[in-house]
Amino acid sequence: MFSMSRRRAVVLLALSSILLITLDLQGNAVVDGVRRAFGTVFQPLQDAGRVITRPIGNAWRGITQYDDLEAENERLQDRIDQQEGAFIAALATARDAQELLALNGIDDLTGISSITAQVVGENPTNFSQTVEINQGSSDGLRVGMPVVNAAGLVGKVTEVFANRSIVMLATDVSYAIPIQVLNLPEPEPVVTTTTTTVPTTTTTTTTTTTPTSTSTTTTTPLSPLSPSPLTSIAPVVTSIAPVLTVAPPTTQPTPSSVVDINALPAAETGAFRGRGSDRAPIVEFVDQSSRFGEIKVGAVVITAGGSKSLAPRGIVIGRVVKIVERSGTSGAVLEVRLTARLSTLNFVRVLLYQPAVSP
Amino acid sequence: MIEFINRPVVRLTLIGLIALVVQTTLLADLQFDGIALQIMLAMSIGAGISGGSERGALAGFMFGLMFDLVLSSPLGLTALVYGLVGFLAGYANSLAVANPWWLNALIGAGGSAAATFAYPVVATWVGVDGWLTTRVIEVAIVVALANALIVPLAAPVMRWGLVIKRRARLAPPPEIFA
Repeated sequence: MFSMSRRRAVVLLALSSILLITLDLQGNAVVDGVRRAFGTVFQPLQDAGRVITRPIGNAWRGITQYDDLEAENERLQDRIDQQEGAFIAALATARDAQELLALNGIDDLTGISSITAQVVGENPTNFSQTVEINQGSSDGLRVGMPVVNAAGLVGKVTEVFANRSIVMLATDVSYAIPIQVLNLPEPEPVVTTTTTTVPTTTTTTTTTTTPTSTSTTTTTPLSPLSPSPLTSIAPVVTSIAPVLTVAPPTTQPTPSSVVDINALPAAETGAFRGRGSDRAPIVEFVDQSSRFGEIKVGAVVITAGGSKSLAPRGIVIGRVVKIVERSGTSGAVLEVRLTARLSTLNFVRVLLYQPAVSP
Repeated sequence: MIEFINRPVVRLTLIGLIALVVQTTLLADLQFDGIALQIMLAMSIGAGISGGSERGALAGFMFGLMFDLVLSSPLGLTALVYGLVGFLAGYANSLAVANPWWLNALIGAGGSAAATFAYPVVATWVGVDGWLTTRVIEVAIVVALANALIVPLAAPVMRWGLVIKRRARLAPPPEIFA
């Protein structure tokens, strides 16, 4: 049925494709250069196209997502009310934590410069999970830099052009990063510490807000699909805040400056990886020490940092929503719900962070 | 200048760039349940229907390569799949003596479904794991239905792109004599 020349043409095309795939997977500089050059030529066309098609896209979203947006708006309003008290306590705790980190010479996220970028393009394919942002190499972005938003980790930069970049989302099957799982302490001690700290933190606002947030979190049992990550983190905030000093700096040193190590959440390392848009990302290879104990649903997952990791320590990724036990020595697999909503990204922050050692 | 524009490579590049702009802007926004329609794939199938299996493979390879250049997936992956689908579309069309619009739609749907299944399979073969999930079925159905509508419109555009004259278009496909 097929003539010889036709068969030869198809075989040649297939071999060319396989050759290109091989070169690209090996990290060929020529392929990267061609990609960059095409991106530079294509960008003005894409920008012009975006100007024309954006109103159509907005109209489409307005039609198809109006009900969802309205419901989400109401839900977010409720969540803002819930979180207001926890936020004030968290501010004080964050300040104290930064002081402690600085005292011990440990870098934290506040010491890392960042650039705000807007998401200007969605993923054009049905398999990889990427978005396009409007900042590029001219703004200091490099491949591998972590991307976050106010809620937590979003992904990492995978392609950089002059004025735009491609960000691989944390749900992409190719995304992987070392993480730490924090088992939150039981909520009982929170109630006791709150009552003991009233004399030391005399007139600060924290004393009035702490009981409110404490009562909320202790009375609400943590369900596997609990939607609010911050309210569940609140026990950590409220348990540490009274122990560390929240009072103005003029007050004399008190025993409250001693950190109760047992009150801090136990942490274990593992590996986080995405599994596509339709499946929850997972954490694997978690070592479980005796102090760490059993992993609980609701445990917080943060980036582990380290000299080879592409992200610094402490970026919130999400919470464990399901634990799948595996036989043998491979350990449990933890399904994670991301705190950042990757389906509705608008503004993101690119941390200008590069590891000390190239991974 | 006119001679330059009349070259199939120039016309295909022009069509490819316009389709790529539409794919990365409009179709990336207009998603159905998180599934983006694939106009580059429709163009590749349209090329196969209009120009036969060989030209369909070449056009598909070219469009796939252009798409690969703006994606973070391995370069050549989409080119391989679109090239093969362009070839198969041309071959399938050559089996019929006439090509009514509904046949183009049928080839468009079948080719799109085949390409949507082939893409994660080839990706897994080259080492990109995780794309071959049950969601592929949902994606294949949506893309196939959409391309059943787009391909009959893409076929005349690709006839212009491949500089196929009316007389040649009305003649029986060369495969029939093979």
